[in-house]
Amino acid sequence: MPEKPITGEKRAFMTGNEVVAWACLAAQADIMYGYPITPQNEIMHYWTRLAPKYEKKFLQTEDEISAGFTTVGGVLAGARAFTGTGGPGNVLMQEAISMAEMMRIPTVMFIQQRGGPSTATVIYSQQEVTLTTYGGNGEGYRIVYSTASHQDLFDYTIKAFNAAWKYRFPTFILGDGYQAKMRESLMLYDPEARGITMVPAEPLVGLPGTPGVDRDPAHLRNTYNTEEELLALIKGYQAEYDRIAPELAEHEAYDCADAEVIILSHGVVSRSARIAGRELREKGMKVGYFRPITLRPFPDAAIRRAVAKAKKLLVVESSEGQFLKLCQQSLCGLPLPIETLLKPGMGITSEEIVAKLSAWRWG
Amino acid sequence: MNRIVEAYVGEYASGKSECALNRALELLRRQEVMQPVILVDLDTVEPVYTLRPIREELRGLGLDVIAWATRDTVGLGEAGSGWPPAARWVLRRSGSCVLDIGYGVKGAQSLNLLEGAWSDPDLRILAVLNLGRPMTGSYECMLAYVRELGPVHGLINNSHLGDDTTIAFIQEGARTVAEVAEKLKLPLTATCADARFKERLGEKDVCGRPIRYLQRFMPRAFW
Amino acid sequence: MTVKLAMPKVWRKETKPHKFCPGCGHGLVLKALGEAIDALEIQNQAIFGCDIGCSLLAWDFFNVDTIQTHHGRTTPVVTGIKRARPDRIVIAYMGDGGGYAIGSQHLVNAAARNEKITVVLVNNCNYAMTGGQMAPTTLPGMKTETSPYGRDAETTGQPMQGPEMVAAIAREGSYVARGTIANSRQLKTYIQRALENQMQGNGFSFVEALSGCPTNWSTNARDTWAFVEQAMPKYFKVGELKAPPRKEE
Repeated sequence: MPEKPITGEKRAFMTGNEVVAWACLAAQADIMYGYPITPQNEIMHYWTRLAPKYEKKFLQTEDEISAGFTTVGGVLAGARAFTGTGGPGNVLMQEAISMAEMMRIPTVMFIQQRGGPSTATVIYSQQEVTLTTYGGNGEGYRIVYSTASHQDLFDYTIKAFNAAWKYRFPTFILGDGYQAKMRESLMLYDPEARGITMVPAEPLVGLPGTPGVDRDPAHLRNTYNTEEELLALIKGYQAEYDRIAPELAEHEAYDCADAEVIILSHGVVSRSARIAGRELREKGMKVGYFRPITLRPFPDAAIRRAVAKAKKLLVVESSEGQFLKLCQQSLCGLPLPIETLLKPGMGITSEEIVAKLSAWRWG
Repeated sequence: MNRIVEAYVGEYASGKSECALNRALELLRRQEVMQPVILVDLDTVEPVYTLRPIREELRGLGLDVIAWATRDTVGLGEAGSGWPPAARWVLRRSGSCVLDIGYGVKGAQSLNLLEGAWSDPDLRILAVLNLGRPMTGSYECMLAYVRELGPVHGLINNSHLGDDTTIAFIQEGARTVAEVAEKLKLPLTATCADARFKERLGEKDVCGRPIRYLQRFMPRAFW
Repeated sequence: MTVKLAMPKVWRKETKPHKFCPGCGHGLVLKALGEAIDALEIQNQAIFGCDIGCSLLAWDFFNVDTIQTHHGRTTPVVTGIKRARPDRIVIAYMGDGGGYAIGSQHLVNAAARNEKITVVLVNNCNYAMTGGQMAPTTLPGMKTETSPYGRDAETTGQPMQGPEMVAAIAREGSYVARGTIANSRQLKTYIQRALENQMQGNGFSFVEALSGCPTNWSTNARDTWAFVEQAMPKYFKVGELKAPPRKEE
């Protein structure tokens, strides 16, 4: 057996895509299937450099449709399998994800968002929120973690494999081009050394014994004959998703208890939001900060608690309202005005948020 | 007059561009160095941190910069995987030259693209090494890494952890790079460190090599 | 006197009679496949993937672990399985639309990469499950729901030569053949050789089976058989197109 890629803990300086490759190693992933697209390429570059040293595998496919479906195949065979993409590749991968949703196949996918629609920019955006949370021809039975730092990328990659295999829903790490390419330090660690046990991966086909002799064959369906049959199935999924949502939902909040205004943001933008919130607090303005970490399931209970005393909300995102819609859906019925700072495909600095809030009339 | 020709190679995110452009600015100020100083962006591997966004700023400081301008790359999207044609003949021009090269073995091979690179008597290839990068995160990894790079004439310690850098980490990097240098019989050319450490670190690192202090330009060059 | 049922051992009796239309060729292809699995004794090793289309009706056909996939995506699904579990024998089962139209990029690239998988493709000259539209393999002049005046080769091309295409791009070690339900013994032999090729780790294996679709052709038994035996081979030549050198038997 090759030695562990990471033993104990080690501080390192990395780009986000590399963090993903190392985190997948730390999470004992077995195989990556992938197709080149900027800005996720270095996930593959580093996985392919590291994989043979640790007896891991890689397959470069003919397109993202194939990358999605081979990942599904890998998981069916019982491997901790993953893929990564972004932009138009994420669009193509939705087909495989809908199969994973229907058949409860615990795929793990890394989305590094780029500008859209179409080819747009290879750089950055938060415009794949709708696609990643609710893409496909279904109800969005997915788990989506929106990360904000390299430490998040590492921590939540390990968590994503465990959530996927525990709950059996396709699971995503939603990053972006900035996180993919940005450089910062983080702590790498062996999950076991921190008391994190990896949920075992199990085959769904190719089980031991002869089918029809020692056991029934695994006959896995995604096709149903009647409306009633499908309705019962989806209602069952919904009930299970609702049941596990409180266990899965994660968020981060600061200074919300007495805040008049709360900034809502997710992903890399929340870094700016947090700095802006602190600066304004120092100036005596009652500003709070709330960041959903899971976009699916959305932290409904937490956000409603956080905004209980607020007079106004500010939604900040690098899209023209995709995250806003999730917030509105979650806060539906609350008589709270929501202001916005929406910049599709553009980064947002703390200065812009401070300027926006400073221009308001307070009290 | 000394003609200086230096190519900066190394691991992804090792700090090649920052080391290269700071070195070019330093050469600009040196009387004995042949002028002009030409800084060339030859990074065909990494389309993110290129000199493109700061080209005019660097030209304003007196450097002759060969790099794309944004207007040259309109409609190209994944710009950066191409390289500016003016770079091909740069070694035939008079003056000194600092080459900022893409990462890894592929980056080092970009020198094949330059006319006269392998017959240039002044060319020195310097590998930039950061102990904080996992691929070069130990003596063994670093040694293996430099060995696969191809021809290298000197090593530069650029060990740091971004905002979390400590003096101790820089010095640990210097010691490690020095060991690799000794093993490979290569000179440890210098240690590079953020200018904020200047007062505490002084002129030389723990191994007695000169310290080049870096003014940070690259954070503004992101995409 | 008792009648001995000629059902392959690997067939799942609980799901018989099967759900294909009377006279459909799928049953014969799946019989040949079943006999090949029996002969090679790989029931406990095989994993079967079926495409969307009539191929889907085979989802509970065998006592073999089986996955329904998406239209055209069976090749990448079984490729993913094989890459993760090389000790399994994987079979992708699909129609002409799934293999030659919507999934053609997967077929081409799986062949080019010499994936150690077996693809069995049923060619019945039309999209049957969706109601008989023109397929890549529809013969010139043949009437379908989307070529109601007969397939016009000028505007829609000639029938796709699947095995010929695969043989042209497949690497050394691959196995490519075209069989027909009109010759069951030969079809079984081809499928068995294809599976053996995978078991021996030689490379990609591909068998197209000429088949009949009386429901959408609106043909009786005699005309169905005549079409399979006489009309189809004019465009689709039966035989082995590529095979690694066989060891002495």
